[in-house]
Amino acid sequence: MADKNPFPGENNTGHIWDDNIRELTNPPPRWWMIAFWASILFVVGYSFLYPTWPGITGFTKGMLGWTSIKEYKEGVDQIDTIRARYEERLSNMNAKEILADAELSQYARASAKVPFGDYCAACHGKGGQGNEGFPVLADDDWLYGGAIGKIQETITLGRKGIMIGHEASLSGSEIDILANYVTDLSQGKDNPDGKNMFLQKGCIGCHGMDAKGVQIMGSANLTDAIWRFVPTKGESIVESARKTIAHGVNDPNDPLTRNAEMPSFKDRLGETTIKKLAVFVHQWGGQ
Amino acid sequence: MMEAAALERKYDLGVIRWFSVMAVVYLVVGASAGVYIASELAWPALNFDLSAITFGRLRPLHTNAVIFAFGGCTLMATGLYSVQRTCGVSLWSSKMAWFTFSGWNVIIVLAVLTLPFGITQSKEYAELEWPIDILIAVVWLSFLLNFVMTIAIRKSSHIYVSNWFFLAMLVMITYLHVVNSLVVPVHLFKSYSIFSGVQDAMVQWWWGHNAVGFYLTAGFLGIMYYFVPKQAERPVYSYRLSVLHFWALTFGYVWLGAHHLQYTALPDWTGSLGAAVSIAMIIPSWGGAINGVMTLSGAWDKLRTDYVLRFLIMSLAFYAMSTFEGPLMAIKTVNSLSHYTDWTIGHVHSGALGWVALVGLGAIYHLLGRLWYTDIYSPALVNVHFWLATIGAVIYIVAMWVSGIMQGLMWRAYDEFGTLAYTFAESVEAMHPYYAMRAIGGFIFLLGVIVMLYNVAMTIHKSAREGSLLTARAQAIADA
Repeated sequence: MADKNPFPGENNTGHIWDDNIRELTNPPPRWWMIAFWASILFVVGYSFLYPTWPGITGFTKGMLGWTSIKEYKEGVDQIDTIRARYEERLSNMNAKEILADAELSQYARASAKVPFGDYCAACHGKGGQGNEGFPVLADDDWLYGGAIGKIQETITLGRKGIMIGHEASLSGSEIDILANYVTDLSQGKDNPDGKNMFLQKGCIGCHGMDAKGVQIMGSANLTDAIWRFVPTKGESIVESARKTIAHGVNDPNDPLTRNAEMPSFKDRLGETTIKKLAVFVHQWGGQ
Repeated sequence: MMEAAALERKYDLGVIRWFSVMAVVYLVVGASAGVYIASELAWPALNFDLSAITFGRLRPLHTNAVIFAFGGCTLMATGLYSVQRTCGVSLWSSKMAWFTFSGWNVIIVLAVLTLPFGITQSKEYAELEWPIDILIAVVWLSFLLNFVMTIAIRKSSHIYVSNWFFLAMLVMITYLHVVNSLVVPVHLFKSYSIFSGVQDAMVQWWWGHNAVGFYLTAGFLGIMYYFVPKQAERPVYSYRLSVLHFWALTFGYVWLGAHHLQYTALPDWTGSLGAAVSIAMIIPSWGGAINGVMTLSGAWDKLRTDYVLRFLIMSLAFYAMSTFEGPLMAIKTVNSLSHYTDWTIGHVHSGALGWVALVGLGAIYHLLGRLWYTDIYSPALVNVHFWLATIGAVIYIVAMWVSGIMQGLMWRAYDEFGTLAYTFAESVEAMHPYYAMRAIGGFIFLLGVIVMLYNVAMTIHKSAREGSLLTARAQAIADA
């Protein structure tokens, strides 16, 4: 193929494929050749500076003494230096004392923002606004108490609501009367029949004589409109209340029971972070 | 018509036609899956709580569809075509080429039947389970053997440069695929890698980066070296440049995988070495881009009228851009920001949409007229496709640059108290507009491919109506 060149005057290599494919004898551009050799020199230079070449038992360490662990530790040190001023004081204080210190509580809120976003916001919302089936934190209504110490206790140990289902012990009409009663209560209406039933059937044992709930047990305040379990779409308040009375909360014997459980964060977050989170949550509605 | 008959007689083109059509079909499918999962990221309700269509299940289907279904069919169509043309002979074995075609399509069907249902090896770009891996190896070897034997029986004196690149791909992908797929099967649908821990990660990324380096780069450079000079009807700019950059890429690429694993349990020297050689790959990569673009010297005016050539030249611009971007991202300081962010996704797509798809589709447009012996149904639609593809790719890449860099900066931002400034969820929230923008860019790109599929179908229809292919075949049989 190389003996006659059908492209006269062209500096091709003399090889022709598929009728008209041929290559020119142009040298690579000069800048390209320089950059090409520079690239090889770069690898050599780089390998003098950084750990690069493996040997039999180890590897070349490089003149900069760089290691990824060292870089990581330097970064952590930098941050720790800034934090140390606050962390040292914070470690000897309880959550209430931190709250009383303006500067420290500002620090605690700043450093709790990310743990709250990572661990709490999925259920409670990023602004503590709650989610369907999960309590609002940004109000003054607390099942277990909104004092800073109580909030810390809740985060540390977790919470699990308990109410047995009454489907077996109460008749359908009794449950109806109670459901209507507590709905009326939450709306500020009188309901003498319901009140009688409420007293008679022992609801006061957990919810109290005044139906305002007992924080030490985490039982619900039934006299306000802020309820732990809200009606689902298309459900009335009475129907929703009926479901709670009939099936209870976390009743192990009732598969239709409502679930209300917050896990313990003691082992996952550690005391310092929990203290900071308590201060963080307290800013929204703590008492 | 005589010439068509002569070509029909001389070359084995039937299987090439099928590979070409399927490449376009698979790109429509693969890009649709891509647009869908991109939309899921922007609007998560689109997963309808069905596990089989969640992002995690569909994403490997998307990557396998575009890389192995579209990319594979494109490489097989163009490779088996150009090896015949540059060797001046028909394929060594027509039957084996049909085996490659049917086997490759069976693999694609098996991917669709397994990946959405969670049957996966969990290795990126190597998700398919071991029985399918074995099938891949067998079918790939049939491609390799046919290619090598066609070169062995060639009538040309020298082996043309496009074939070096295809050979580099064929040999290295065999080696990489087999080693990375070494597993202990538990049962038909489950296996465990024989490598463990960081060694498994290293082998995976040695494969992962070379799937890019040899399959999506060397293979597609093979396409470039045949189709650019052929379409432009100009000589390749520099033979010496092609030799130099071929060997530099072939030698250098296999070292790069470790740059995917910097700041991990991988020893520091391995990551540094990968990063250093990555930087050294910019110039060899540009060697290919320069050689392709300079082939047009003296014929730049062709870009004004030749829409197919536009695809090929634009692909080289994207190739030069993304082969600069990649090494940049391998440098430790940049990598510590860019790793795990959308910037990586943007980089991959500047290579995939800008380089691989444009050069592959340009080659298929080039083939259309030559395989069906007629003019393309609508050159105007080729131009429409060119602009949709270019604009779609640019929107996609820009969205991911902004989103990726923002992500990296948000993750590392500290406030004056030395505590993290943003939660992870806030960074996700900040991504939303860019995820929407990316889905739109991808959709525009997909529209272009749909336009192409229409143009392909109409060209074949036109050929059938004119009877050009049938006449050529009948004439070829009569002549023989």
